[in-house]
Amino acid sequence: MPEAVRVEYQGELERLEASGLGGLDLVSASLGRTLEAVEHQDVELAQLVIADDDRIDGRYLEVHQSLITLLATQSPVATDLRLISALLHVLKNVERMGDQCVNVCKLIPLTGNEPPADEEMLRLILTMGGQARTLISQAKRAFEERNVEMARDLVRQDDAVDTLNRECFGLALEIGDDADRREWAMTMLLAARAIERIGDNAVDVGEQVAFVVTGLFREFEDASHPEG
Amino acid sequence: MQGVAGTTRAEPEMPPADVRKPAPPASPDAAGETGGRSRAKRIEARNVDLYYGEFHAVEKASVTIEPNKVTALIGSSGCGKTTFLRSLNRMHELTPGARVEGDISLDGQDIYAPGIDPVQVRRLVGMVFQSPNPFPTMSVYENVAAGLTLNGSRVKKSEKDEIVERSLRGAHLWNEVKDRLDRPGSGLSGGQQQRLCIARAIAVEPEVLLMDEPCSALDPVATLAIEDLVRELKNRFTIVIVTHNMQQAARASDVTAFFNLEETGKPGRLIEIGPTETIFTSPSEKATEDYVSGRFG
Repeated sequence: MPEAVRVEYQGELERLEASGLGGLDLVSASLGRTLEAVEHQDVELAQLVIADDDRIDGRYLEVHQSLITLLATQSPVATDLRLISALLHVLKNVERMGDQCVNVCKLIPLTGNEPPADEEMLRLILTMGGQARTLISQAKRAFEERNVEMARDLVRQDDAVDTLNRECFGLALEIGDDADRREWAMTMLLAARAIERIGDNAVDVGEQVAFVVTGLFREFEDASHPEG
Repeated sequence: MQGVAGTTRAEPEMPPADVRKPAPPASPDAAGETGGRSRAKRIEARNVDLYYGEFHAVEKASVTIEPNKVTALIGSSGCGKTTFLRSLNRMHELTPGARVEGDISLDGQDIYAPGIDPVQVRRLVGMVFQSPNPFPTMSVYENVAAGLTLNGSRVKKSEKDEIVERSLRGAHLWNEVKDRLDRPGSGLSGGQQQRLCIARAIAVEPEVLLMDEPCSALDPVATLAIEDLVRELKNRFTIVIVTHNMQQAARASDVTAFFNLEETGKPGRLIEIGPTETIFTSPSEKATEDYVSGRFG
């Protein structure tokens, strides 16, 4: 068996993968705190999430720069090249998911100290958030294990998040004539929409898993041609 | 059909006329900077085994090399890629004790058939070597014209002038040497000398150009100039290039073939051949992946 070479480069690539995917853990934690802030109308916690997004952005910039350096200096090809391309995509998803948490947290002060919350809608949003966190951790695991089946399963789970989002919309339509309650419901719809986008980003990560493994990029679901 | 160099066997059904007769001198009215219409031919190698005496260097290599494409042969040292390249113009058999088994044909014409003149094969299948090797005592002009007279044909001076100019233009060298055609070829820079060798090779209008690590002795700028030239020359010739530089294979070739050696002392084998883009993004074989990724030397 020939002697293994480029050991340092391989080590660096593994470290960058772990660091990039670690960004998904940061996002999951951020979403957990976001949901807590929504549930308890905790403006201070929401401010913390907003401030902490710098950490997610920092991870994005650090790993992104290191991957560009690897591209420039090591001429990666084949699986290594696909992995680096996929990680660059995943980093963007991480950064976007972090921003969606910030978007939700920015809404919390708008709803006032004691908002006229609808319990059922709140429950739906918290359930959506919990499922989005499951999607994030499953996307990470599928990437680490190069498991295309697990990645494809993200679509099924994301469909459940989308269904909850539509239910939120239905509830908002029937929230009644009270202006404050309507305003609260409209604000919560924006939060639900942000969480729904987090689910979509997790599916995008899954598509990158399939690309790393097969070398072919195919959207699991084509939003512009849903029938196809 | 088993072709064994140096052994007797039946005449092929079709007389191998193309490789028996010297080709007429190239038409001087060929168009364009690199000039001339395509003469590229398809090379078919089937179950080729190559030996140096008892040593089995390449085992059962079967490959189709398409015309008007650049095919790169890559693999670690000793895997047999250069040996295989040299079998494509019957240079392998020049090594004492070396022999070839299997079939190699040029557009269906068996180049190892009895009665085939190996010198004519080498005229149709030109070769550019690792180190630029212009004839040291000859001028730039004489270096390019050397092949025209070496094969015994008589060419008029005016015709020769045109062929020399067209070949030097074809090798992207004309503008640099047109005012010193009578100076020694060895006085040129390394990159210019290699382009002079390419001009010499294309002056006899071959059908295939074999290149054995043509840039390994050149600096990066001269290397890129040769790569540009190779891409242009493929419009006229079939090109096979052996290279240790994987980025060169990725940049300059359309098709990449990977040879590998299981262990020292065993014969080299063709592991995988495919579009260069596929070999460098999603190769099928793990050995190819490990080699192109540089995981194993």
